[in-house]
Amino acid sequence: MKFTRMEGRLITYALGSCVGVCLYDPIAKVGAMVHVMLPQKLENSVDSNVFKFADTGIRATIRKMEVFGAVKRRLIAKIAGGAKMFDIPGGGSLGNIGQRNIESVRQTLKAEGIPIVAEDVGSNYARTLVFDCTNGQGNIRSFGRKEVIF
Amino acid sequence: MVGETMKINSYQEMNGFAIDMFREIGSIGTGNAATALSQTLSAKISMSLPEVKIMGYNQVIDFLGGPEKIVAAVLVHMTGEFSGIMLYLLDFNFVNIVFERLSLGKIEHFEEIDEMRASAIAEISNIIISSYANAVAQLSSISINLSVPAMAINMLGGIMSVPMIEYGYTTDKIMIVDGKFI
Repeated sequence: MKFTRMEGRLITYALGSCVGVCLYDPIAKVGAMVHVMLPQKLENSVDSNVFKFADTGIRATIRKMEVFGAVKRRLIAKIAGGAKMFDIPGGGSLGNIGQRNIESVRQTLKAEGIPIVAEDVGSNYARTLVFDCTNGQGNIRSFGRKEVIF
Repeated sequence: MVGETMKINSYQEMNGFAIDMFREIGSIGTGNAATALSQTLSAKISMSLPEVKIMGYNQVIDFLGGPEKIVAAVLVHMTGEFSGIMLYLLDFNFVNIVFERLSLGKIEHFEEIDEMRASAIAEISNIIISSYANAVAQLSSISINLSVPAMAINMLGGIMSVPMIEYGYTTDKIMIVDGKFI
């Protein structure tokens, strides 16, 4: 998780099945980016890194942003990633974890009342996500595709 | 065989003996793969003695060339007594050597890979992966079943997110048995 206030760009390189979540308060200009690897934190998990998981990661990020002057009801979200990098016949959970990450991110944001204003998710390629905190604009680079501004 | 007494919960618990064992397994696997590759390409291929390294995921990605480096990758699902995934990464120079050897012609960019070249990459990788897995299976008398290979040409970081996520609930580290074909 990284965040910034007033100025600066946040960047996450080559998101595959992971999902990059940008949260932004356009008034206070507080922005944050979480790199979600897995949909949920397991109940008995001793993993100390809460930012790995969609549910705990997004909530911890919101708390941190509030400390730095963001107001939760003003927050908006932009999400990218959750690709299926390999098409594995009979691969089981290996194949669809990206999709499960996307769903868990959507659910958590909905439960927190944060609207998703833009998304570029799914398909089968990696994305480098850049988020500019001065204007709330996102930018996605990928292999063999045009740059996406969102 | 690895007895019950040698079970570990994290890579950090591995002792010198266990690391040597993996180096040996890696060495036999790579050796077999090199032989198979050299027969397929009719080329002389030597390999270095593998080194065992334990690293964090981001360290591994940097070690292999950085998150945005474009690579070809072939992934095979292992099932049976020994389950997991095998991911074989080919960098740009290596795929060009393969294309040249198979008289498919060199390419300037990864974008130029057509169906014929893509299937050549999948086939070569399949040969390498199966001969590696075979060697490990024979050495340890464990049966390994391999799935049909799946291929991707994309950013290294995105490709590495697949094993990273698959074992994300278990570990944050990766063990690399790093043998090089020369």
